[in-house]
Amino acid sequence: MNNSGNAMRKINQLMIRLLGAMLAMLFTVAPAIAASGDAENGKIIYEKRCIWCHGGDGDGSGAAEKFLNPPPRNFEDGQYKFKTTGFDDMVPNDEDNFRMVRDGMPGTAMPGWKALLSEQEMWDVVQYVKTFAGYEEEKPETQIDYGTQIPTSPESIAAGKKLFEDGDRCVECHGKAGKGSATKSLKGDYKERTWPRNLTKPWTFRASNDPKDIFSRISTGIPGTQMPSFADPKSKKKLSIEERWNVANYVVSLAKTKEVVDAENTVIKAEVAEGDLPATTDDERWDQAVPSTFLLVPQIIGKPRFFKPSNDTITVRAMYNDKAVALLLEWDDRSKSIPGDELAEKIGDSPISEDGVAVQLPVVIPTEMEKPYWGMGDATHPVNIWQWKSGTTKAPETIALSNAMGFATIEKRDAAASGLQIKSSYDNGTWRVLFTRPLSTDDAEKDLQFAEGRFIPVAFAAWDGSNSESGSKHTMTTWYWMLLKPAPSSMPLAIAVLVMGLLLGGLMWWARSAAAKDTENA
Amino acid sequence: MSMTKKRLIPRLLQFALVIAGVYFGFVLLFDVILGALIPKSLLSMYMFFVIAGTFMVFTCTEESAREMVDPIKALVEDPSKKIVRNIVYAVLPLLAGAYIFTSLQLSFEAPVELRSIHPAPPASLKAYGKRFDLATLENPYRKLEKSDPEKFKKLVFEGGEVYIKNCQYCHGDRLDGKGPYADGLNPTPLNFQDVGTIAQLQESYVFWRIATGGPGLPKEAAPWISAMPVWEDFLSEDEIWKVILYLYDYTGMRPRSWKHE
Ligand code: HEC
Ligand code: HEC
Ligand code: HEC
Repeated sequence: MNNSGNAMRKINQLMIRLLGAMLAMLFTVAPAIAASGDAENGKIIYEKRCIWCHGGDGDGSGAAEKFLNPPPRNFEDGQYKFKTTGFDDMVPNDEDNFRMVRDGMPGTAMPGWKALLSEQEMWDVVQYVKTFAGYEEEKPETQIDYGTQIPTSPESIAAGKKLFEDGDRCVECHGKAGKGSATKSLKGDYKERTWPRNLTKPWTFRASNDPKDIFSRISTGIPGTQMPSFADPKSKKKLSIEERWNVANYVVSLAKTKEVVDAENTVIKAEVAEGDLPATTDDERWDQAVPSTFLLVPQIIGKPRFFKPSNDTITVRAMYNDKAVALLLEWDDRSKSIPGDELAEKIGDSPISEDGVAVQLPVVIPTEMEKPYWGMGDATHPVNIWQWKSGTTKAPETIALSNAMGFATIEKRDAAASGLQIKSSYDNGTWRVLFTRPLSTDDAEKDLQFAEGRFIPVAFAAWDGSNSESGSKHTMTTWYWMLLKPAPSSMPLAIAVLVMGLLLGGLMWWARSAAAKDTENA
Repeated sequence: MSMTKKRLIPRLLQFALVIAGVYFGFVLLFDVILGALIPKSLLSMYMFFVIAGTFMVFTCTEESAREMVDPIKALVEDPSKKIVRNIVYAVLPLLAGAYIFTSLQLSFEAPVELRSIHPAPPASLKAYGKRFDLATLENPYRKLEKSDPEKFKKLVFEGGEVYIKNCQYCHGDRLDGKGPYADGLNPTPLNFQDVGTIAQLQESYVFWRIATGGPGLPKEAAPWISAMPVWEDFLSEDEIWKVILYLYDYTGMRPRSWKHE
């Protein structure tokens, strides 16, 4: 190799480094400067921190392997999912791996290490990880060509939407609404179940929903999964650079804004409905109800446990009138699991079970801090459980009522006798289930009697029948609160005015009588 | 008038200052320093006792009582104080009205739940069909740390495997309480990297917490909301001792022990 070639290589490498550093700068306040890691030291860190999942040999066979989906990455195969080198280049940039190690991968068990490891330590471990695939001497040969970024605008988003839907380009897997309601069953290279990302939930993106990151994903695909590259000239659904920016802008625009978790919002506030309660899941009045969105966690406290959930949040809205209360539960579920249904059986992990959702309420509203145990109550504090199931091709949907005093002590009751009713709908990856129950029932011993202005503990559970969820295998929330907000009343104002009048009167009377005494004495 | 000493700050003002001082002291201590909003009902109760107590101190002799009351009487009765009086008469009822109005409004804030994080442990605990005396219970493997470091290392590793399969979902694989599902739980899983958790505890206490989980807590620790599973149902006694070794080894903390104290 001659001198000028060498110089070119150096400049090329420098450019790559610069690009990497600029990329990194986009995502952190303090830019990560590509440093050369020390693999020796990386090994020590790896053996303390990473073997549990990625395994001592880097083949992804750590002790946690069977409990995680996506499974821990097998570094021996040298395939990386979130990289910025060309779609046909296996080798990632060091900066790509550094970023995943530093920030972690949301929606997976892979945590960010910046709180525990120094910058240098992270470069060291990145360097060591490369050795499993023999990448220590390899340099990537191609990089993603970003062209010039097209800033977002209504036109760009509209153009992106069209490309997203044309010939089912992205819709095929991500669904019309982008919620990942796939039309086929997807598997990763290791035969693991993969679910197309719900593009309306940017918090589950492994590599953020910044337009530039989405551009990268569309360009390289996600190696090891069925998400293909749209920069590959061989692809029938290939997109130009400009088109990829438009699609990226469209994907950003899909992000949910209302049904998002707000850690401060722990109280479902039911307002008084004008007239009758909404009888359908799409009644316009639901748009006025304030949504509360809660995190769902897999059931890992009682036997048998469940480790690989697909649902992660549930949104609740509520209303009431003088007769009954209505609770609308809404959650994204990629598949409408109706056992017996051909498409559903094909998409899900066959044999599938029914989808389901449940509401848990205490039988008695606690007056002190003490509540029933959150996992289905306890011996002295029973709970009511309302459970809806989606039905099969042979049987319609069902609503069941039970009273529980712990996992093992469950009494089945008659839902109709307590006036429990349901309505459900499934649309493009979202279930909506409406529960209605009279404020009070005939069996006050066994049913919660709703009361205005009281904080009522409430918890939820959900089952995705296409994801092997049934029985104790489901997701659930911790205890939150529900409050039937009394209609605004003029009482407080009336009492305040009365007190003001009395006080002023009393003071005047005191001054007056003192003055009278004075003139008397004079 | 009797021979009341002329004071730098009149008694009535002193009284008001003491009350205000205590009030802001509480707010500062709880809301700012401890970072936990003090519940309104609790604050009202404290303040009731503070006002009653201060009032008793300020009026314990006839003279001091008069010193408190005289300025008020003067305000109402002294014709020369007419302007001040009119102002007070306008402001006082307004303040009272506003207070009553706001306190009658229903709050939509979630009720505050105070719980003790490290309640006193029981004297003994029943698990695995036998009784453990917590005062004498020790980690059977701890002594190997010195006597057989190789064996000890192996046990720590086995503890790590128990941890990653069972605990990381909540307590996190960095042991910092930030596991993938931590945000969906309340109370949040404890952070073992923090000096306020396992570093404060004896291994027997940690054994008790792991074996009996959330439901094993006494009432003051609100067992009904803790997501901590009852590990007696899933792990052997041996596995619990090993996972404890791992918790201390990974974080570099030392368990507290009777011997060193
Ligand atoms: C609790 C388990 C766990 C631990 C501990 C863990 N990882 Fe991971 N890691 C994962 C999982 C799961 C994935 C795969 C995520 C996916 O495929 O979307 C992953 C993926 C990765 C990737 C691939 C990124 C990509 O773009 O494909 C790298 C690099 C990585 N981990 C490095 C590390 C390092 C370095 C450590 C230790 C400091 C570590 N991991 C510790 C679970 C873990
Ligand atoms: C053949 C199915 C398929 C097609 C077609 C497809 N995707 Fe995907 N996509 C997936 C899968 C599966 C995943 C999740 C991969 C994983 O497990 O990390 C995914 C993940 C993603 C992500 C998440 C990236 C991250 O950081 O987490 C984005 C964004 C995305 N796809 C956008 C698109 C866009 C835009 C299109 C169309 C141009 C598209 N996908 C077409 C299957 C597909
Ligand atoms: C489902 C979530 C969850 C899992 C899984 C879990 N924990 Fe916990 N753990 C918690 C929560 C929440 C707390 C705090 C509330 C409490 O003290 O009960 C806690 C508290 C603790 C404490 C008390 C620490 C102290 O300072 O008092 C110890 C010790 C502990 N966990 C150990 C473990 C071990 C070991 C495992 C695995 C075998 C484990 N936990 C698994 C949720 C969990």
